[in-house]
Amino acid sequence: MEGDGSSAGVAASAALAYFADTFFEDRTAFPIAREALQREIGDAALVDAAGVLAIYDAVVKIADATGIPLEEAKAEMSADFREDLGINDYPSAEGRI
Amino acid sequence: MIGYDHSPLSVRTDLADAHQRAWRRLARPGAWFTGFERVAIAQEVRAAPACALCIERKNAVSPYAVSGEHTSVTDLPAALIEVVHRTRTDAGRLTRKFFDDAITDGLTDGHYVEAIGVVATVVAVDSFCDAMGLPRHDLPRPIDGTPSQHRPAGARDGLAWVPTVAPEDVTEAEAGMYDGLTGVNIHRALSLVPSEVVGFFDLDKVQYLPDNKLRDFGIEYRDLTHAQTEFLAARVSAINQCVY
Repeated sequence: MEGDGSSAGVAASAALAYFADTFFEDRTAFPIAREALQREIGDAALVDAAGVLAIYDAVVKIADATGIPLEEAKAEMSADFREDLGINDYPSAEGRI
Repeated sequence: MIGYDHSPLSVRTDLADAHQRAWRRLARPGAWFTGFERVAIAQEVRAAPACALCIERKNAVSPYAVSGEHTSVTDLPAALIEVVHRTRTDAGRLTRKFFDDAITDGLTDGHYVEAIGVVATVVAVDSFCDAMGLPRHDLPRPIDGTPSQHRPAGARDGLAWVPTVAPEDVTEAEAGMYDGLTGVNIHRALSLVPSEVVGFFDLDKVQYLPDNKLRDFGIEYRDLTHAQTEFLAARVSAINQCVY
């Protein structure tokens, strides 16, 4: 299973990461990822996960197409890990942090 | 009427109801588009991933290095199709110039914002179906009527590329737009078209969490925990290279 989410300390993080990664980047593997996640978290939580994935697929489009900036407080809180994770280098970061 | 009775997994009633409301809104006239135009935008949202130009641009180092015509399925204006297709397929590389070009090419900022709202609504519902392994819903039949042409008096430039309405600038005409919301930037993003704020966050509160429960870590409101929800949301943002 791809996706190293295990260090996050979140239950089923690797399966959640694989679920998201394959949805956006490898649809042929996605049914396998979905089944794996379902086995780990159960039916109802899988439905919740599908809802979260889908709404965030939409949220990022709203944020990126309207050019809303990160709130000042969030920008300050995330300054160190944004740099570490390369988030500041995203094309969408231009003028928005 | 759309629903999830056919789903092998039980879908929460609040979620199914919200999708039904979203499809009704999609079919109705908005602030700047007729119901027919809104459903046509939805058709383009669905067509964009297979558009040859969008695929070529997505794979290019810069989307501006590739020119051509979109593979469209409607007779919407080219400037609108460009906004819908790029937002659907390559939103992470949109810049201020993209918005400016849309305005130069003939869209008003109101049309632009409403189009983004429609894209987001269709993506939220379609991606849910895709993620569940369910067939997508048929698009609704458009409802006749005239767009309201309502532009909030309190809309101001400055926060984003598009004008937005600060919570303190909401007038009677769009009262309730931020009900249940704190008015942070993502809530304000579509506020030039208040009905899109109301509509989108009607979906958000059931697919994600209501705003007042986001930080209520003492109670788990869903089977997916707060931590799992935030982890997944962050992963989706990172994959899409969204800075917000």
